[in-house]
Amino acid sequence: MSPLDFFGWLEDSSWSVGLHESRYAYPIIESVHVWAMAVFFGSVAMFDLRLLGLIMRKAPVPEVVGRLLPWTIAAFIVMVVTGTLLFFAIPLRSYQNIFFRGKMLLMLLAGLNVWIFHSRVYPKVPTADVAGAPPRAAKVAGVLSLALWTGIVFSGRMIAYNWFDCDRQPQPGIVNFLTSCVPDE
Amino acid sequence: MRTKLAMMISILGLAVSGWGSPASAHHAFAAEFDANKPVNFKGTITKMEWTNPHSWLHVLVMQPDGTAVNWAIEAGTPNVLFRRGFTKETLAPGTEVVIDGYQAKDGSNRANGRDLTLPDGRQLFLGSSAGAPYELPTVGQ
Repeated sequence: MSPLDFFGWLEDSSWSVGLHESRYAYPIIESVHVWAMAVFFGSVAMFDLRLLGLIMRKAPVPEVVGRLLPWTIAAFIVMVVTGTLLFFAIPLRSYQNIFFRGKMLLMLLAGLNVWIFHSRVYPKVPTADVAGAPPRAAKVAGVLSLALWTGIVFSGRMIAYNWFDCDRQPQPGIVNFLTSCVPDE
Repeated sequence: MRTKLAMMISILGLAVSGWGSPASAHHAFAAEFDANKPVNFKGTITKMEWTNPHSWLHVLVMQPDGTAVNWAIEAGTPNVLFRRGFTKETLAPGTEVVIDGYQAKDGSNRANGRDLTLPDGRQLFLGSSAGAPYELPTVGQ
């Protein structure tokens, strides 16, 4: 079963149709997704700005992490759950949407940035009561994080636009390639 | 330090305002539809998709030359349509309706729905997208 077949099958399932046509579930899920995003992006931005040494300079980085990270993680879990449900409501169209694909790619990069930061960079950030700016690698991680998450929010919003959708032909070959689209004719 | 912080904030502000504007209105009218291409026709409902975030009404429209053309009309969410008095029966396939709306910018047979008039003369508001001409106070709705 190809991914297109799979998501087509998912789209025809009664749960997916129910969510897509729901009066309350879809708008509520969408709102919760956005609320969680505000908490997530807010806490991430505060941490990134601390890494850059631009805010909360008197608070040691580990203390900032201790205060913000639980919010970041909780909001991320809510975002993943609600985001999965939003995808589940419109699976095939989302799978083929160019902005959705871009968003997934950026999220992969953002995840990589988090992983590298926590495994390589963070252990070297002074843990004692040292205030001020952390090392250069930590600043790079902060800038990358801000840029990637800004891009992710942007591409998430753009999923609503169907400019490059498979059912709008003709499209340039590159667009159809990037969206796994095989036009009818 | 202060200037650094101020600079950072203004850069962030610029980024947010610049990137936010085309996307801030929910599925903005102007991105998809043309306020200068109003359409008005009588058609027969072939299918109604009660879907989020926008519903789609499909109608078959008879042309003056006798040919029939399919039009897809964008409407609000299922929730707002039900609140305005639409039911699944009002828009059952086969129903004759009159549609007022605005055609898609790309010239295809898609339109942003404004008003829908039922056979009994009842008029219902289809509107869906922020920034449509029917939302401007001068036009009135």
